[in-house]
Amino acid sequence: MRVEYINPFVEAAFSILKEVLDTEIERGELYLKSTSQPVLGVAAIVGLAGDVEGRVLFDMTKDTAIAIASGMNGEELKTLDELGKATITELANMITAQAVTKLHELGFKFDLTPPAIFTGDNMEVTDTEVEALIVPVNLSLGKMEINVAIRERA
Amino acid sequence: METENSTILELEEHSEALQTAKQVDFKMVTFSLAGKEYGIDIMKVKEISKAERFTYVPNTAPYVRGVHNLRGDIISIIDLRIMFHLPAVKKKEGDLEDMIILRLDNYFIGVIVDSIDKVVGISSKSIQPPHPLFGDINIKFIRGIVENDSKLYIILDVEKILGAHTQEEAQAEKQTVEQSSEKVHKEIEHDVDLGFIVDTLKTFKKFRVTDLNLSWVKQRFNVWKKEKGSDAESLQLKDVADADQYLQSFYSPSSGRMWDDDYMAAVTKALPESSNGPFTVWNPGCGKGYETYSLTIALKKKLPDAALKVWANDNDLLSISTAPNLFFREEEIPGHIAPYFVESKNGFQIVPEIRDVILFEYHDILNPNPFPEVDLIVARDLLSFMEINDQQKLLKEFWEKLKPNGVLLLGANEKAPDMDWTAREYGAVIAYTKKNV
Repeated sequence: MRVEYINPFVEAAFSILKEVLDTEIERGELYLKSTSQPVLGVAAIVGLAGDVEGRVLFDMTKDTAIAIASGMNGEELKTLDELGKATITELANMITAQAVTKLHELGFKFDLTPPAIFTGDNMEVTDTEVEALIVPVNLSLGKMEINVAIRERA
Repeated sequence: METENSTILELEEHSEALQTAKQVDFKMVTFSLAGKEYGIDIMKVKEISKAERFTYVPNTAPYVRGVHNLRGDIISIIDLRIMFHLPAVKKKEGDLEDMIILRLDNYFIGVIVDSIDKVVGISSKSIQPPHPLFGDINIKFIRGIVENDSKLYIILDVEKILGAHTQEEAQAEKQTVEQSSEKVHKEIEHDVDLGFIVDTLKTFKKFRVTDLNLSWVKQRFNVWKKEKGSDAESLQLKDVADADQYLQSFYSPSSGRMWDDDYMAAVTKALPESSNGPFTVWNPGCGKGYETYSLTIALKKKLPDAALKVWANDNDLLSISTAPNLFFREEEIPGHIAPYFVESKNGFQIVPEIRDVILFEYHDILNPNPFPEVDLIVARDLLSFMEINDQQKLLKEFWEKLKPNGVLLLGANEKAPDMDWTAREYGAVIAYTKKNV
């Protein structure tokens, strides 16, 4: 993945999460992965197109998702209902959009697809031929992994 | 049989009539798979034929439909649609399958396709390289794309698809790995001290001794003996510092800084001669980027008219992050490349003209990459620090990714295997080109 793309995504994730949740955030070590990997239970996905193609996936457990959605709405949610899902989707949208805005300032043109959310047990994500950058984020509410897979249009 | 042959001829004549305007030097048999048009070089096609009820052969790959008796010759039948995971329409009982009988080296093989179209003559100059994003069929099986009569045809490389069986390949690979580690073991087994050094280099520096660097390691060992005395105790590498000292002379000239005049001149000589079209370079393990910048300057000097594109990657996030915006102090810049630097408020920077052709990526070389074929691969002092089977895998990947006249540069003390590579010496630099197999 192009070096210039890494920072905008990491920075956007941190500034948005800090803003909406108002909690301590700790960054894990970034790494690359290309084999299929398990998804924790809730995955919000935003597609990217333009100079590049790829997607950003926000991966967390159901409990973490409920806690984040509760925090963002300022009310206690018991299950991951419509509102909860919409909240997580919006979070994914906000982070990706801010990253893309930053990249725009650097001169890269990206378009976003509307976010989608997947929930379920024992899910797995596989990107053949594109390696993904994993940004682990440790929140006081739980762990979230941001999984960015982008490649240049050659 | 005769009718079939005459159809080919008729088709040929027909298409020739259409193509008189441009020079035709490449003919292909076209067919469709899942609604898309494909072509195969006519020189590889023995004939086209229709048949059904192939004799099933148990315990074969799913895409092998069986064997077929073609006028006394038993040939294997492969279903290309199943091979490429495309939807295959089930034929009704009694309906015949369209087959293309291919001539490979010294045997024939039949491939089943949806429908055979016609013979198209084109100019081989109009074949364009495959786009790396083609989804359905693995890019290494595609020879190129060509437009004809407002249709796009994907030309398949049948030799790559059917020439070597993947399982056999995997087997052969495993064998070469075993052979190579065996060979190294044999070479060093008479010398316990050397064997110990080989082990400790691996532990402390992840430096793996294989055919690639064995001759340097032995040579260095002799010098090491002279330096340290031949008593076993003092020969040993006790810690990382010792290992660093042992490897000190391994690294290629001008590692971790801009290349000096002599080294750049030697590399320049080894680079491919004139090119004014696109020229793509892959520089894995570029570290902080000094190597990539030096190399790009050398290329720009030698091939001023080429449309350069350099992919540089490294899996060390810290090193590669600084690479796109590297700043230099004045004393770091060798005089001969000074014109390629501009002063900014944080120090000297490479001119945009050079920087714009380089794409630095955070990438692990062991993961798949989407790069198309390249003209030049520069991987200095990279393979020696990989696992033994990864070394083999990467050398093979380099072979596959390099264009026929492409050049591979390795570290100063690394040697590519003679079996696949032709070496040419240019002073301190050895340039490797692919041997035709």
